[in-house]
Amino acid sequence: MNDLNDLRVMPREMRLMSERIFSLTSLPKGFALMITDVVMYSEAQNLGGFAHLEATLPELMDAEPMALKLMSDTGDSLALDAGGQHAWIALPSILDLLSLALSEHDSARIELTGVAHPKELAIAEGLGLRQGLRIRLAGTVLSASACAPEDPVLNRALVDGCRIPAELWWRIWALAQTALTPDSVVSRRHAGVNIVTEDGQIIGRTDNDDDTDPNFINSVDPRKTKEATQ
Amino acid sequence: MTATSLHTTGPDGRPGLRNWRELMKPQRLAAMQPSRLSGTRSMMNRMIREQWDISVERFDVDETASGTIVYSIRTPRQEFSFIAFSFAPRTEGRTGRIIGRVWDMMGTLNEGPATEETIERARSELPKLYRGRASENALVWCRSNRSMRVFDTVLSALADGRQPSVDDLNTVCYLMRNTGLDGNGTFGTRSFPSINVEEHDLGGMLQAQLLLAYLMRELSCDLVEHLARLRSDKAVKLDPKLRSYMGVGNGSALGLIFFVQKHPRLLDSWLTARETAVAKALGLELGRGDDRLCQLIALIQRAARFRSEDRMMYETFTASEQVAREITTLIAPLEELRGAGTIDGESHRFPLDALARRAEATLAPESYETFLSLCMELVPEEADALAAKVSGADELSVNPAMTVTALKDLIEDDYAWALQMDMTAEDAQDYVWYKSETAEEPRRGLRAEVPEARDLGIDIPGNMQQLHKDLGSVAPDMPVARFLLAFPQHRLMVARAQSLEGRHFHTPHANINAGSFVPIDMVRLMNVALHGIDKTRDYLQRNLRGVLYHGAPTREEIRSGEGSDWFYPEEPRA
Repeated sequence: MNDLNDLRVMPREMRLMSERIFSLTSLPKGFALMITDVVMYSEAQNLGGFAHLEATLPELMDAEPMALKLMSDTGDSLALDAGGQHAWIALPSILDLLSLALSEHDSARIELTGVAHPKELAIAEGLGLRQGLRIRLAGTVLSASACAPEDPVLNRALVDGCRIPAELWWRIWALAQTALTPDSVVSRRHAGVNIVTEDGQIIGRTDNDDDTDPNFINSVDPRKTKEATQ
Repeated sequence: MTATSLHTTGPDGRPGLRNWRELMKPQRLAAMQPSRLSGTRSMMNRMIREQWDISVERFDVDETASGTIVYSIRTPRQEFSFIAFSFAPRTEGRTGRIIGRVWDMMGTLNEGPATEETIERARSELPKLYRGRASENALVWCRSNRSMRVFDTVLSALADGRQPSVDDLNTVCYLMRNTGLDGNGTFGTRSFPSINVEEHDLGGMLQAQLLLAYLMRELSCDLVEHLARLRSDKAVKLDPKLRSYMGVGNGSALGLIFFVQKHPRLLDSWLTARETAVAKALGLELGRGDDRLCQLIALIQRAARFRSEDRMMYETFTASEQVAREITTLIAPLEELRGAGTIDGESHRFPLDALARRAEATLAPESYETFLSLCMELVPEEADALAAKVSGADELSVNPAMTVTALKDLIEDDYAWALQMDMTAEDAQDYVWYKSETAEEPRRGLRAEVPEARDLGIDIPGNMQQLHKDLGSVAPDMPVARFLLAFPQHRLMVARAQSLEGRHFHTPHANINAGSFVPIDMVRLMNVALHGIDKTRDYLQRNLRGVLYHGAPTREEIRSGEGSDWFYPEEPRA
């Protein structure tokens, strides 16, 4: 049953918040931008979701995907040492390796060692379907067979969103805000139809008809700018 | 395929798609003009064809302009409602930028008829904006501001019992300007990919936002007439010709560069559809006495008149007077073709292709692109069918079984432009793209000026060069799955290259971090070509101000199925 204090949050917002929060970590951008869906799938699959993101952010801050090591590979059976990394960091390579094994075998399995938060590996059951992988998790072993690609978790989330407690969501939102750049008069000159200098001079054409209040552009009050987004 | 620098000929001898290696250069994309495949034109054509029924359900606004307005929109299969709240204008904190804190109107486009419950929900949630939550049937939230000067001028005129002069209107051509259209999940609105386009009348690309933009135009005109009536007993309504002439203003800026980077499939789908329509038009075998030549000549005359009446001041774009003059030169060869079946005495199987090649070589890019856009009007069914199929999922995926050699070959072919860029040039990494904490405004500045900024742009050429280098450092037969285990930082570029394999109209060939990059080029592509915005004025090479639905029919005309020749409107005359 849904709590009245739950918010219906849509994939666009979940992805945006995940992306911003991951940008606060040490993860390389080219990796971070490809794992933004894991939090949404975790939430949609009733795993840890955004509460888990909030709780484990300190360890995600130092996440290191290069710590993963393939320990053995016998074709359809693999062993991956996650090097102590969060399950979310290991998921992309788990899916890659299973998919690769299935290109030559009818079934494949991968056993994880050294993985933090192994329950989150269950995301692979949902996310794998997108790549045509039917995956079952048992402990830290994932077994896979091929299937037609589908994405029921995402499709459901696109229609219904995810119900997330309001207090949690707004804490996530506030955390994601810290990935944005604090406002300043100099920064305000990096956008807009003209530039207002410190002495109030306007650089650029003023025939833009937006009735701009120049005092507003040139008076960055942290309290007021915070209000503007609340 | 044989190729010139831009135009191509297919193996069957017919005009092919234009050469993507040339077309995807920012300056080429920036020159593209509104066409039948642009969002506003495509949307309006459909509304007229299907005779959408738009009506005012409620207009409770007092003399200060505060109040509630509700429209009903009945389409062939559904009913929608536009619930809007009008506010008394204030000057403090006012700006066309997203950081503004003052709006003259906020509203929501919902599925289904408006009820007291949905109206009160919108009234309570819309003002919270980033902290607000849309109802489950909400498609798009919007905000707009008046053009204070033009709105007041029109209001005074109508209250005095007279029509405003065209000169009063022509400096901006709108009463209100859109300052935000947020949908597709933002604030809890419906996710567009979840909408079945076969069953929903606003399921296509940008359709919900574009309907709302049109409704803003209608609201702005209804509001000014309403306020005039409250001010004076002798008030008159806007002349329908003036009402049609008014569009809705639009300001766009750096956020569209993020959009282009994040939606490569959508951009590819739309540009491919557009270029296919261009090729079909240029492939028409037109000869002596063909009525379609009369149609094209009339369209060129209309476009030339529109350009010659344009009073806007442009900073870097080709002046409208030049475009008018140049496209007019195409009329004589078309007349010769219609009368004698030749162009300069020569016969051509595909005469429009011959003329397009000439235009490309001799005219300003905007003039040449205007000609191509007008040619598309000769293949309306094909163009509309292509527009209806535009779509593109955002999700990118990795093919882990591909070998690094195959991936390297793919990158060398599809991203040669990126590999050839000098990323060590002095200004190659001077700029950073970021968003402000305030209202998430997209900004671009010198890295040295905002060292604290987190870079949100994707350095496609720089990242592709790094990926290419690292692919060369491992065993050639290594599968991508193993490569990404060792080089996880390349996952995004690998997925991008693999997911877009075989597609060529997805990525502008540019280094967005370079000092030489001109942001306005990408904004123009989106605003002018894709959205179909007219009279786009450029500011500081990063902002555009323009007019949506300039000349669009009134809702009464749409209901009657009239007004299909609305674009490039003629100045109304007394």
